[in-house]
Amino acid sequence: MNSEILAALAANLLSPAVLFFALGVFATLAKSDLRFPEPLYVTLTIYLLVAIGFKGGAAISKAGLATVWKPTLLAMVLGALIPLLVFPVLRRLGKLSAVDAAAISAHYGSVSAVTFIAATNYLRQVGLPFEEYASAFLAVMEAPAIIVGVVLGRLGHPDRGALGSTLRTAVHEAVLGRSVVLLVGAMLIGWASGKKGAEATAGFFVTPFQGILALFLLEMGMVAARRFGDLKRVGRFLLGFGVVAPVVHGTVGILAARLLGLDTGTGMLLGTLAASASYIAAPAAMRLSLPEANPTFYLTAALGITFPFNITLGLPLYLELARYLIPTQP
Amino acid sequence: MSPVITHPMKRVTVVCEKLARGPVLALIESAGAHGWTLWEVEGSGRQGPRMADIPEFTNIQIEVVVPPAVAGELLGRLQQDCFPRYAMVAWESDIRVLRAEKF
Repeated sequence: MNSEILAALAANLLSPAVLFFALGVFATLAKSDLRFPEPLYVTLTIYLLVAIGFKGGAAISKAGLATVWKPTLLAMVLGALIPLLVFPVLRRLGKLSAVDAAAISAHYGSVSAVTFIAATNYLRQVGLPFEEYASAFLAVMEAPAIIVGVVLGRLGHPDRGALGSTLRTAVHEAVLGRSVVLLVGAMLIGWASGKKGAEATAGFFVTPFQGILALFLLEMGMVAARRFGDLKRVGRFLLGFGVVAPVVHGTVGILAARLLGLDTGTGMLLGTLAASASYIAAPAAMRLSLPEANPTFYLTAALGITFPFNITLGLPLYLELARYLIPTQP
Repeated sequence: MSPVITHPMKRVTVVCEKLARGPVLALIESAGAHGWTLWEVEGSGRQGPRMADIPEFTNIQIEVVVPPAVAGELLGRLQQDCFPRYAMVAWESDIRVLRAEKF
């Protein structure tokens, strides 16, 4: 068992994607002048979201909607439940204000697409099969937690009348944000064009994928490391929370996958999604809907702690948890 | 060449987080400005640096040229509606323009 864990860890830490992530962290901490232009960041995210969405859509057309809808609905429910689990912990143990606790809850219930993409990449590397349609989980898990988080943050607010308009802004941000539009749009296109479409675009969406992910993680290493300076401002509780919460949520996600009879690889992906924290859609929605919440808390926790943890140690841990909790392949 | 005649106007400058783009532009329009200029910027302020590495964390700078009365109205409404919600600063300055009717 021990050697298996070590092998899983090495497979992740020595993958090009994670090594490039480490290079990005190093470059920033060493104060190198390396810096990606912002348009390149945008281009890389568009490519990754479209590629993963398109492949997921093609997989849905192959598996059939009848197979996909149930686990997708469960993923959505899981996304909405996590903030309800996290909120009281942050309030009672973390002694955080209601809006701060609500904003952080929204981040941890919502998901990180890059973490998911890195997880699929990792599973491919260790040779564990999974259902490509799992990107449907990614698409539906972004919004519910954001909406629940906004409601939690506004419940204690004196101006109850503002809840309606605040929720409208949050729902718009969560459902029509660029990442969801790209992902769901590409998924529909992949689904509609089916096998033929997948074959026609494989040269662009599949072959260069690993290299582009590595390049993107180099940038993400720099982005995450720039937030390390804020780590000392968020306090010991959030530092611990940023590591413990993903492990607890990951376990819950894998158990949910087991309930539904998903295979080990797909269960690991659902666990990873539950474990990941949003650092794009959720911060934007929170700035608009809960402007009183302190961005240093939620951004540093999601982007400075949980994201690097998941990319490096989290993925192998969730793989081992999935192997342990979902031992037999259906 | 005809003589150059310039007219007094105010330039209102707003530096804010990108998320405030929509509300600030709507406010500028409803306060009676006839145009605006906007670009992305990075910088540092009281709340620390704005790193501008991800589009969502970028700052924008918006400039409008308006008659003094409109500038007063605009700054007042920015203060009331936008300052409590968004990270932003705003200031006005005296300028002189050609073709006053454009503003």
